Amino acid sequence: MTGPEPGAPPGIPGPPGIPGPPGIPGPPSIPGPPGIPGPPGRAGRPEDIATWHRLHPLSPLVRTGRHFMGLGVLVILLLFANQRPSGSDLVIDLVTVAFLLSAGVISWLVTRWQVVGGVLRIDTGLLRRDSRRFPLSQVQAIDVVQTGLARVLGLAELRLRMAGADSSGGRLACLPLAHAEQLRQRLLSMAQAAGAATPAAGAATPAAGAATPAAGAATPAAGYLEQHAPPGRLLFRLRSERLAGAIALSRTGAYAGAVIAAVVSIVALARSPAVVGYLLPVAFGVVLAVWRQFNGEYGTAVSAAPEGLRLRSGLVQTTAETIRPGRVQAVRLVEPLLWRAFGWCRLEVDVAGPRQRRENRSEAQRLRALIPVGSRADAEEMLGELLAAPPSPSRPAPPNARWKAPLVYHFLAWDSDDRYVVASRGRVCRKTSWVPLEKVQSIRWVQGPVQRRLGLASVRLDVAGRRVTASIADRDVAEAQEILGRLPDLARAARGGSHFASGGTGDGTGDGTRASGRDGTRDGTRASGRDGSEGMVNRG
Amino acid sequence: MSVVDPGPRAEDPGIQWQRPSRLLLRARRIQAGLVTVPVALGAGIIAGAAGSRELGLGLGLGLLLAGLLGERFLARRVAAWGYAERRDDLMVRRGVLIRRLSVIPYGRMQFIDVTAGPVERSLGLATLRMHTAAAASDARIPGLDGAVAAKLRDQLASLGEAQAAGL
Repeated sequence: MTGPEPGAPPGIPGPPGIPGPPGIPGPPSIPGPPGIPGPPGRAGRPEDIATWHRLHPLSPLVRTGRHFMGLGVLVILLLFANQRPSGSDLVIDLVTVAFLLSAGVISWLVTRWQVVGGVLRIDTGLLRRDSRRFPLSQVQAIDVVQTGLARVLGLAELRLRMAGADSSGGRLACLPLAHAEQLRQRLLSMAQAAGAATPAAGAATPAAGAATPAAGAATPAAGYLEQHAPPGRLLFRLRSERLAGAIALSRTGAYAGAVIAAVVSIVALARSPAVVGYLLPVAFGVVLAVWRQFNGEYGTAVSAAPEGLRLRSGLVQTTAETIRPGRVQAVRLVEPLLWRAFGWCRLEVDVAGPRQRRENRSEAQRLRALIPVGSRADAEEMLGELLAAPPSPSRPAPPNARWKAPLVYHFLAWDSDDRYVVASRGRVCRKTSWVPLEKVQSIRWVQGPVQRRLGLASVRLDVAGRRVTASIADRDVAEAQEILGRLPDLARAARGGSHFASGGTGDGTGDGTRASGRDGTRDGTRASGRDGSEGMVNRG
Repeated sequence: MSVVDPGPRAEDPGIQWQRPSRLLLRARRIQAGLVTVPVALGAGIIAGAAGSRELGLGLGLGLLLAGLLGERFLARRVAAWGYAERRDDLMVRRGVLIRRLSVIPYGRMQFIDVTAGPVERSLGLATLRMHTAAAASDARIPGLDGAVAAKLRDQLASLGEAQAAGL
């Protein structure tokens, strides 16, 4: 019930961080029909982002590219199944493609965006006008994503990640790559300016303007994958042969090996090619999983920049991501059994965001790996970059816990200082999670029947990320009781302290979060009317 | 291996546990009955039609008996619910077999739901559910008297607003 209360107006993005006079966009937006955005400006000239812009004309092609792939697979499968190409199938496919394309073109025609007063506004929709506003002060991260087709065409998609748990956030698909990069720079610096205090906003904006050309020069239109290092101080770069080895030794690799072995042996035993048809989907899925992981993590490079950690990765589909400081909800170090033999590990961060995106579900379920695979030293260096002086799990579990968790016991430990809690567990795959106390959302005390017999209890810390909860498992009841009594106070102190320590970011997030909790991504101002004029008058 | 059993409900003098309404037990009994009786009837009839009459009768009676046995645990489960408002956070405890105690700082509450199903509504009860930004922290208090639930909701909302903290 108490989402956006009147007391806390949703879009407090405070000072109009950008010089563009906010009143101007009035006249051009008056014409009724949605398809005519005043002076359309060339598609995405980033100089004056305060005016209305359209996306790149080729974007419908890129956006329907995925359907093309799906259709292609379907057609091939149908050909296999029917053994002969039938004309009507082809016609249906072509009609579908044409329909999708025309829908994409219409969607492109009616979609436009602008940035005014620290708010990114995206208008779209032909029949059902949809006007979304994204206050930049609440942006968690901004990604630049390039699918394979987009890379060929030199386009890129800009994705805004907000804190809300239920929506996919803002997407600008697609812009020319160089413009997307520049726009991301500007949006990020504006986001920081909006988060900072009022006088700082004015000062930060020219600085950002000065930074933009530099960034533009550093990323020529050739594409950033070719010149791997994102601007800033390079922290980590993945060695691709190690990635291949790591995937082969991971669970995905084990599944793939098992499935391939099964297919081969079944075919060898059955000696009839028809069996392969049934196994094809399974094999296809496994190959896809391996490919997706390899493609997503290939060439990961992380560097530290003023606006946060910058991350680039991808073989065919490339992703550039910026994780703003202070937005990390949890850090997790994963060391599978086989990797430990090589001294490898994986470092993942959890950032608040939608729990599952509609597309790329498997991608969203996995955490973002800052180090897909690296040495222990790499991980420790990165950890030091993410957290200030993180503790290591040095308090082992009590001997009683051996009865409840005979295997896990080996690595069961935790520790905390006044800023972080760390807990490790897992025997085959050791997982160590660090959670900043200021991010803790709630604390749970759990005791199962076996634990009760042994005089044990667990304490769990929930954070707003996607999956990580630090679990201080199987402690003595007295110790668990003590943890439960102490942690809420520590967490409160950490929260209160953050306002003084890191003034800018801490306050910026604090401002709008009350309002943003429920529907931060839409920010409550989602004007959608029957026809275009209604949505626009609403802006007035 | 001594059985230490103070649990989370160690009687800390500083904590005053509040209990849900007494009607919650009745609501739970009605709900259990609404599930058990049709299931027992249906299973009995099907087994009676497909197998022998004795089988159907036995199955139906057995399921009813199981429901009655389960009813004996309801009282303990209902009694396990409790909540305490502290200065900076709300504590909710529950569970008999698996005991849980959640601590939710007021500043972390994103929004609060009050829901009432048909059985609860007929008894004038409501369930209060608190949401934080973490999906895992699921804190609810069932069987609150309607007026108490509304009061608690407003109180929590204002406390949450006063202490709101960023993500």
